[in-house]
Amino acid sequence: MSAGCDHAIEYVYNYLDEELTWAHRMRIRWHLRHCDHCCSAFEFETKLKAVIRERGCDEPPPELFDRLHALIQQEAEETS
Amino acid sequence: MAEQANFERDAMQYAPQLYSAALRMARNPADAEDIVQETFLKAFRAYHTFKEGTNLKAWLYRILTNTYINRYRKQQRRPSEVELGDLQDFYLFRRLGEQTGAEPSAEDSVLDQIVDADVKEALESLPEHFRLPVLLADVEGFSYKEIAQIIDIPIGTVMSRLHRGRKALQQKLWSLAEERGLTGSGP
Repeated sequence: MSAGCDHAIEYVYNYLDEELTWAHRMRIRWHLRHCDHCCSAFEFETKLKAVIRERGCDEPPPELFDRLHALIQQEAEETS
Repeated sequence: MAEQANFERDAMQYAPQLYSAALRMARNPADAEDIVQETFLKAFRAYHTFKEGTNLKAWLYRILTNTYINRYRKQQRRPSEVELGDLQDFYLFRRLGEQTGAEPSAEDSVLDQIVDADVKEALESLPEHFRLPVLLADVEGFSYKEIAQIIDIPIGTVMSRLHRGRKALQQKLWSLAEERGLTGSGP
C-alpha cells in the first residue's frame, strides 16, 4: 500500500461516477497503470456498478400506462 | 388540451423507471404504484411551472422522492439516522479475494452469479437515507449535483452517504452470496 493507493481508494467512487476533474482523473489513471491491486479492485467496482444497474430494476405492470393516462385525463377534464 | 398532450408525450416515457425506483423505495408493488400515480398527478398539476429545456427526468424524480418521503416518514417516529459502523473499502472484492485465493477472475464469476433478486434485496436492505442516494446514482445514473437537487441535501452529504451506502450494499451482497453458497465458504 502506497500513498497512491490511499488516494485512489479515497476517490474510487468519484472516479467511477465520472465526478473528477480531468487532471485528478489522470492522476488516478496513472496510479492504476502501475498498481495491479488497485487496478483489479477498480475493475471489480466497475463491473459491480454495471451489475447493480442491470439487475436492480423492475418492469412496471402493463396496465400502469393506461391508469396514468386515465388519471391525467380525469384531472384535465375536472380543471378545464 | 395541448398541455395534457405535451405532458404525456414528455413525461410518460419515464413511468417505467419511476415505477422501478418507487418499488425500491417503498418495497412493495401496491405502494410503488400509488407513489407513481401521485407523482404523475402532482407533476401534471405543476407542469406549467416546469421550464422547458431543463431536466424533466430529475424534476420528476424530485417529485417522486418527495412523495415517498412525505408518505413514509409520517409512519416512522424518526427517520432512520442509523449509522452503519466502520466498513472496509472494496469490501466485496477483498472478501471474495480472501475466499478464492489465487484463482484468477474468481471474483468476476461470483459477480456473474449474483441474481436480480440479490441486488434488489441488498438495495432494499439499506437504511433510507443511504438507499435513496445509492438508488439514484447506481440504478438511475444521476450525477451528484442532480441527486443533491432531487433529495435536497448538499453535494458533500450525497458523496458521504453514497460512499457509506455502497459499502453497506457490498456487505449485504456478500452475505447473500454466502447464503447461496457462491463464495466457497459456508454461511
